[in-house]
Amino acid sequence: MIFSHRKNLLTFCLGFLASGPGLSAAPEFSLTPRTTDLIENYCIDCHEDGSSKGGIRLDNLPGLSLDARLDLLNKMQEQLHFEEMPPRKKDQPAEEERAELISWISRELGKHNASKLEDKLRMPDYGNYVNHDKLFSGEYAHLKPFTPDRRWLISEFIFDAKFNKLLNHKPFQTIDGKREFVIGENNRRVNLTNPFLLPTNTGVRYYDTATLNGGHLLTMLTNAKNAAAYMTGHLAARDRNYLPSFNAIMAEEDRHNSILESRKRFLDNFIEPVLLELYGKKHQSLLPEFKQLSVTEAAETETKKAPFHAANPGKEELVIIFRSMRRLEKEGDTDAQLITRCEREWFYFGHNERKIQARVTFLRNYMEEWRQQIEQHKYDERNRRFDYKPLPESEMHIVGTTIRKHRKKGDRYQTIIEKCMTDWRQGFKQERKEAGPPAPELVAKLIEELFAKIYERKPTAKEIAKYQALTGNYLTSLGNLKGVQKLIQTLILQSEFVYRNEFGSGEPDEHGRRMLTPRDASYAISYALTDSSPDEELAKAAAEGRLNSREDYARQVIRLLKKRDQFYVIDEAVQRLNETASITDLPIRNLRFFREFFGYQKMLPIFKDRKRFGGDYDGSKGRLVGEADRLVEHFLKKDRNVFEELLTTEKFYVYHSGDNGHMTAASDRIRRIHEYFKDKDWQNFEKEDLLEHKEFLAEVKMRGVNVDELEKKGRRNPIREFKRALTSFAIRLDEGETGAAPYVSFPAHGKYNADTRTGRRLQSPEVAKFYNIQLDKWNYPGVQPAKVEHRKGMLTHPAWLIAHAQNTETDPVKRGKWIREKLLAGTIPDIPITVEAQIPEDHTRTLRHRLAGVTEEKYCWRCHQRMNPLGYAFEMFDDFGRFRTEEALEHPDNLIKKGPDKAEPHVDLRDTYKTLPVNSKGSLEGTGDDKLDGEVANALELADRLARSTRVRQSIIRHAFRFYMGRNERLTDSKTLIDADNAYVQSGGSFNAVVLSLLTSDSFLYRKAKPTS
Amino acid sequence: MFNRRNFLKTSALGAGSLVLPGFSAPLAGGAPKRFVFIRKSNGIRPNEVTPPTFTEEQKNLDKKKEAFEVDLDRHELPAWLQPIARHKANLSILQGLSCKMSENGHWSYSSVMGAFKSGRNSLSGIKRTTIDFEMAKLFPSPFGHVELSLTGNYSTFRTGIVSGYSAPGPHQRNYCYADPRTAYNELFKSVLNPDAVDSDNAMLEFLEGEESLKADLIQGYEKLKLSNHIESIDSIRARNKKLEKMSGTIARHLPKIAPIHDNGGPNASTPEKQKAMTDILTAALITGLTNVVTYTIDELSTPIKGIKGNEGDHISIHELGHNGGYSGVPADQIREKIRVGHMEQVNAIVEKLKATPEGNGTMFDNTVVMYFPENGEGHHSHGTEAPFIILSGEKSNLDMAGRYIRLPYHATAGHKTIGNWYTTLLNAYGNPIEHYGDFDIETARKKIDQTGAIKQFMRA
Repeated sequence: MIFSHRKNLLTFCLGFLASGPGLSAAPEFSLTPRTTDLIENYCIDCHEDGSSKGGIRLDNLPGLSLDARLDLLNKMQEQLHFEEMPPRKKDQPAEEERAELISWISRELGKHNASKLEDKLRMPDYGNYVNHDKLFSGEYAHLKPFTPDRRWLISEFIFDAKFNKLLNHKPFQTIDGKREFVIGENNRRVNLTNPFLLPTNTGVRYYDTATLNGGHLLTMLTNAKNAAAYMTGHLAARDRNYLPSFNAIMAEEDRHNSILESRKRFLDNFIEPVLLELYGKKHQSLLPEFKQLSVTEAAETETKKAPFHAANPGKEELVIIFRSMRRLEKEGDTDAQLITRCEREWFYFGHNERKIQARVTFLRNYMEEWRQQIEQHKYDERNRRFDYKPLPESEMHIVGTTIRKHRKKGDRYQTIIEKCMTDWRQGFKQERKEAGPPAPELVAKLIEELFAKIYERKPTAKEIAKYQALTGNYLTSLGNLKGVQKLIQTLILQSEFVYRNEFGSGEPDEHGRRMLTPRDASYAISYALTDSSPDEELAKAAAEGRLNSREDYARQVIRLLKKRDQFYVIDEAVQRLNETASITDLPIRNLRFFREFFGYQKMLPIFKDRKRFGGDYDGSKGRLVGEADRLVEHFLKKDRNVFEELLTTEKFYVYHSGDNGHMTAASDRIRRIHEYFKDKDWQNFEKEDLLEHKEFLAEVKMRGVNVDELEKKGRRNPIREFKRALTSFAIRLDEGETGAAPYVSFPAHGKYNADTRTGRRLQSPEVAKFYNIQLDKWNYPGVQPAKVEHRKGMLTHPAWLIAHAQNTETDPVKRGKWIREKLLAGTIPDIPITVEAQIPEDHTRTLRHRLAGVTEEKYCWRCHQRMNPLGYAFEMFDDFGRFRTEEALEHPDNLIKKGPDKAEPHVDLRDTYKTLPVNSKGSLEGTGDDKLDGEVANALELADRLARSTRVRQSIIRHAFRFYMGRNERLTDSKTLIDADNAYVQSGGSFNAVVLSLLTSDSFLYRKAKPTS
Repeated sequence: MFNRRNFLKTSALGAGSLVLPGFSAPLAGGAPKRFVFIRKSNGIRPNEVTPPTFTEEQKNLDKKKEAFEVDLDRHELPAWLQPIARHKANLSILQGLSCKMSENGHWSYSSVMGAFKSGRNSLSGIKRTTIDFEMAKLFPSPFGHVELSLTGNYSTFRTGIVSGYSAPGPHQRNYCYADPRTAYNELFKSVLNPDAVDSDNAMLEFLEGEESLKADLIQGYEKLKLSNHIESIDSIRARNKKLEKMSGTIARHLPKIAPIHDNGGPNASTPEKQKAMTDILTAALITGLTNVVTYTIDELSTPIKGIKGNEGDHISIHELGHNGGYSGVPADQIREKIRVGHMEQVNAIVEKLKATPEGNGTMFDNTVVMYFPENGEGHHSHGTEAPFIILSGEKSNLDMAGRYIRLPYHATAGHKTIGNWYTTLLNAYGNPIEHYGDFDIETARKKIDQTGAIKQFMRA
């Protein structure tokens, strides 16, 4: 058999070569005897006619159609490259043999430009396919690292920061009592849609591989229109320095508009006296005949009447009504007379009939309430009477002439005004037309200003010329305003706006690498650490030639890493959930690296059952994620042994703002109140008893207990509030607890709760339930992070556990996969298409048991052995991240007791089910360290061992590389990775040292024009 | 609950969420299918849609919320549904769907059409593409999808182009046309304002030239980025060209919008606004600009002005929910009048489509119109029930017309959620997704299967 293949393959090959001489092009397919040997030795046994494993045959390779052959060669290339083939139990080719075979395939695919591997290796999923040991062995450290020249599509975060800056959107928050400008709050006045959303996977999400597509552009088209309208409308009008040349172009039109406005304002207020002056007695006869509207009388019924706020015609209308009433009211008038007089005025003004009808209906039905409102809201002070003041003489002359020209008998005032306005508007338009288009120098200045705003650079002379021509066309065909808007749109839609440029310049070094241009470098550094373009100092350094060496980069990076004068919103979604503070003053991207690496925020969109949680899940989830962020920030600020701390910390934030002083005081306050009253008979207190403690109460302030108003009134019941609060405090402190969680009896009642750092109510104490902490038995620590039982590191943080679980069950596979890929630099192939990834339902067995049944079969276990044993260790936690020793078999058949549906926060609302003991034994394999590999009793032991592993440390470094470079590492980056790893070790575990090392590495500094594979 | 194979199939379909809407490829059956989603506020109370001619037994079943089905031709419709009585053969009254996995209470924002909790309308709370956009993917058109709304700030209507309720993708909020004049100008721009289209084209041409110049200088993967940019520009130019070609058809079907709607129509009454929106909605479908329209006919903040019997009143829908009456007319009566107004519009849509020939029938044959509450069964809803009024044409892929259908009640065996209903739409029209939307939590807790389409509505 072998011979026959050999013969087939060789014959084909020789035959082809024989026809070769005389042809200048490379032969379409060529097999050398050496490649034939290699295929014979390592592949053909399994992949030939009759034994074609996995449906792959190689014996007929030469005879295949071109497409089929390229397809097969691509598969072979991938399998060989990733060392998936030959299978591990078979004879393995030597490294050179493998390289030889791969290079032959590359040559063959190269002929048709058909290699898919190169593209694939760029993708985030393939990051770990570069051999870990090779990367860190030092064997490749002599290679010269570089990044290819590239355009990198902006991220969702950069999109927001860019537009916020362009559109002067400057949101402020009160943080630690001070008003601070924050980046990352995107509630703009302009309606923009962010098309550059990053994928939602955990790990590194922002890669340079994304490209703009039709959907992006279509969205950007609308964004550009909205932004342009806002820039030329709201912004340019408010700030004359925003786009001075635009204002200059619009100067004449603006002047005309302000004249028009002043005439209109004047006429709207004083047309009646003006007409009386112009027409004297004749005026009355020119007015139309007043016809009163018929307005339906309100029926007399028992019906509940809608209150004033739900029935008035709106603020602006109320002011109009008020002014008419004040102008026309006379002593002794009845309401009906006044209403008719108003109606007559509105009729002569020519207000819309329906509006008049609505006003009259409103006045008839709500006059009493309306008069109260006028008083209460000080309408008289706020809407003072207009005193008649004529316009300058020349203007009065124009006004008078135009009115005389247009007024006809029967015209209402608004008709007269509109006719005059149209006349003037047309005249002005004609004037502007005669004045001609704006001067070319002015247009050139506008282009410069727009380049500065949109691209943050000066245009070249060539660009100015080109855009002058384009703008000229726009202005002619669309007019000044729309023309300039179109120009803005054109600039926003260019690739320069939506991509960040990173190109090298200058003379290439001996390896063909060039350093980033200083400008591109300034953006690269700034975008590495933040979402914003370079700050003033960095931009200045780039412009003044101080961004040309590694030392220059280092100086800037160190400065930015230390910078603490800018606050960022970490996650707007978290901020929105129960007013959780989600802010940091760290360079946002450093925190975001760990956030996305761990992926704990991915718990937010998971829809979970509050009953199964046993409390207010939706209220608590924002707090849980916010506190995970706070923990990461805590260790990043300490910047010592960052990875180890994050993987093994036993201290967590639980219902804590991050401000130890404030939280301690808030907790102490409750204890103080409790101490003060605990031995008194407060359960039976009456008003008089409370008054005896007036001074104390005035000092400590309790919600709903105002010592000056202790009597019951309406919904106010101070005695009840007092007792409710004390009962709740007693529950938390009566067993000798050392501290109480600082919330009032109901967490939503925030006034005297602790505050968040942004000055909002600190809500959701039920976050403690994730940690098995009972609110009524908690020695609340005011100083946090503080030790929590049964926890070790971020992988035991409930947010991480929920993010890596199913809606109603844990997910050892997902958890194991995360560890394998993120911490052990391992790979797991995609689920084969033939596999139905489902765990059978069976309410008599634990999840682990059921999962093992379907994944531990031979075929599945090949891959699952890389995940399950790691994930099993986390079975000590349930799908809410709560520690457990027993697994509840949640099924109606197993129900033992129903929990309450509603209760105070300390009560557990869960139903009780039958249980089975949990088995959280697992095993660790793949650290490359015999002392660490092996069985583990549970997740805590696993976390300990992971934290001690060199491989884990290096795996995090690899992910950091991807995060800061926006691409996968290659063997040529070996030196960069080793340096970053050394920087971490030598600095005692400083993550800043890692970032500094990466951002001053050759991989970051150097670019090559043409990517090499 | 999701298995891998189906996941791959559906995600392959779903992946195009950001891809520029293409143009209707010639479909097997000829005409495209059309879908109109009409969202209304303040809930629909389940007893409001019950035919008054039910037998005692049927009334009892309905009251006890037990599943049953009745042919509508033997029954009279409730008074407020009379405007659509002529279309009884096309009508389904669907009772018993729950929407607890979307937001309830007063408002649901994007969530009722996506079957997720949107976290009080936060952008990152938008978990998935809403059902209307999913349907639009199956039946592409130049606009892809059109969203209209009549909403306000209690005293005045919103105008212009404003943020909408649908979601073209996760974390994305659609925009919508908030007043008839804006909708008219934007949708029919190619006919109404050819100059604006010309200047757009001039800009696109310039952009294409610029990017091509840059692309000539580079190679490899980087070139691909710019050529994608160029292709994207190209595809928008192609769309504009296509619209230009359609201008004849558009001009023929251009609706007439009264001058009262100019400048946002501050003096237009609510019924006038509704009528104009209906004209625009039908014209957008008839001209082929879109096959899917989502229309928020009202929202709690929509001012109700100029309705019969309360002409001068400024009515707040929210206040009606709290039982406040106006000019002596009780809240319930006004609520009913508002619903009647809605039904008159639904009728106008159906009539107009039935009057427009298509193939060997009419346009309505290929259309499904859905009228449903945004938040559930009342003003302060819990989401246990969300009655749907559905009108479907003869060539619809759904088997439900002419019937009153009550499905099993929330969290009982066989119960269906809006997720099941949307899955039914998707499955029936070519998206094989296993389940659309989040699951109902109480049903899940009881371990009752709730995956997939409502089988009985799928044509065999």
